Amino acid sequence: MTTPTGLGHHASEDDPRIMLDGQIGQYEQVPPYPPRTEREAEFYSLRDGEMFLNMGPQHPSTHGVLRVVLKINGENVVDLDPVLGYLHRGVEKLCENSDYHHVISQIDPLEYVSSLFMEWAPVMSFEQLLDVKVPRRAEYIRVLTGELLRVASHVLFQGWMALDLGGLAPILYSFIERDEIVEMLAALTGQRMLFNYFRIGGVNGDLNHEFMSRLGDWMSRALVQHEANIGLLNENEIFVRRMRDIGRLDGETAKRMGVSGPNIRAAGVPFDVRRAHPYSVYPELEFDIPVRGTGPAGGDSLDRYLLRLDEVRESIRIIDQCLHNMPDGPVMARLPRLMRPRPGRAWAAVESPRGLFGTYVISDGTDQPFRMKIHDPSFVHLQLVGMLMKNNLIADTMAVMASLDPVMGGIDK
Amino acid sequence: MDRSLKARLEARLADHLAGPIRQRHDQTEIRIRPADLLEVMRTLHDDPDFDFTIIADLAGVDTGTTMQVVYHLWSAKTTDWLRIIAEGMPREDPRIPSLTGLWPGAEWMERETYDMFGIIFEGNRDLRRIYMPPDYASFPLRKDFYLPDDSARSPGGGARHVEQPNAPVVTSTRAPRRTVRG
Repeated sequence: MTTPTGLGHHASEDDPRIMLDGQIGQYEQVPPYPPRTEREAEFYSLRDGEMFLNMGPQHPSTHGVLRVVLKINGENVVDLDPVLGYLHRGVEKLCENSDYHHVISQIDPLEYVSSLFMEWAPVMSFEQLLDVKVPRRAEYIRVLTGELLRVASHVLFQGWMALDLGGLAPILYSFIERDEIVEMLAALTGQRMLFNYFRIGGVNGDLNHEFMSRLGDWMSRALVQHEANIGLLNENEIFVRRMRDIGRLDGETAKRMGVSGPNIRAAGVPFDVRRAHPYSVYPELEFDIPVRGTGPAGGDSLDRYLLRLDEVRESIRIIDQCLHNMPDGPVMARLPRLMRPRPGRAWAAVESPRGLFGTYVISDGTDQPFRMKIHDPSFVHLQLVGMLMKNNLIADTMAVMASLDPVMGGIDK
Repeated sequence: MDRSLKARLEARLADHLAGPIRQRHDQTEIRIRPADLLEVMRTLHDDPDFDFTIIADLAGVDTGTTMQVVYHLWSAKTTDWLRIIAEGMPREDPRIPSLTGLWPGAEWMERETYDMFGIIFEGNRDLRRIYMPPDYASFPLRKDFYLPDDSARSPGGGARHVEQPNAPVVTSTRAPRRTVRG
């Protein structure tokens, strides 16, 4: 099925969901050719009273460029089919054609909200391939900056969540916090969003004065500000009512669906890579894993929202400990510029603000990875939307999706 | 490295192992044949000694000569990640059973692997392309799919970033330049 040019590229007359002029009115022809899979056949057959509604790809609440085909019956969502690929850049292929240092900047823009975590996993897997020992100070700096960014990400989530439910004010407060953190990291790394800061064997540059003074200012009021931001929404009856009992997910289903991160912890499963499979200096730090929704019915959207607020407190605790325990020493291991690891395989996973982010690297002995698989948690979580949304209202679709906190950059890779 | 996990795996899965168990850093690696996948996975998931209930990753690999699917699992019973390499699928027609019966969440991971490598997961009820458009014909992460700036390593004329019609049943006419052993 290619277009006459032979380069058949974009969805056009072959796309089952785009109606051409001649097809308008022929509702029985959706999709216009035989369905490719069992699931597609089921989804694109309408029962009495059902219709399709297209949402996106340029919809303000899809957290990126995502198209969702909703099958609705009145106001109720019967089923939905997310259509991905609008942001697909082929990052894995690009990584296979970049050398090991270059991979860090290739993988950085995957998830623009928490990009340090996107650097952390590949850097850790390359260090395994090369058998590099990272200096302790570098590990502490990684944890410190990572947890700062986790706070920024969760705080931004709070604002987006409210925005998707129609509340305009909280996003403004979220951006005050987030901006303070990214400006602080910009003083350290030189960039506001795509930091490109972690290096194989350490980090790029030691903590500097501007970063430390900004961090000190922020730490002195972080918890107070956090409590104030919580008060914006947690006591709002409309907000709470729209979140409670919507999109319930129980622990067993969450495990079977491959869920991780705050979403699985809000379903009652205490799975956090920082504790489940400790890496870096996390074993030395004291922090709790907040868990919600431990009942048999699991957790709802409100639990997922509240759990992220709990995590902000734990992250601030970790930052505090990092500042007190920060050892002296170098921030980079001594390594050659050109790296040719021996042939082998390595897997490393970190706990990003969205869940388990991992990379699987195969080396063939050259200076470029032979294969680089990126596992992004948002990709797995987006699968849940169809399951959680069944028989809910259209207006709640985006609320449930926002409560899962996906970022399309990571989903589409 | 968890030595006891190695012993347990050897005792329980001896019939299914297609190669030695390797351990390095915090990973334990076993190799199996695609036909044994479901039995091995069911044992690892259901056996209370293993209890590998969390699937961390599913990756396709084109070694240049054969196809592999690599799974990473996590369990509270061990300190290691478990890597399962289902190896030895022919590049012309790679087929492997689907894990969606055990982990319904593997559905999209398998769709992605199908989209990028053309590996057919038998039993997945929604094996459509997920990133590329529906009329796309080639599989971009295969080793015989070149990027335009890959030409530094290719003899002249090797670079074609437009798609090539490599359906999984059609043998590719060009051999990949890079291969990796196992």
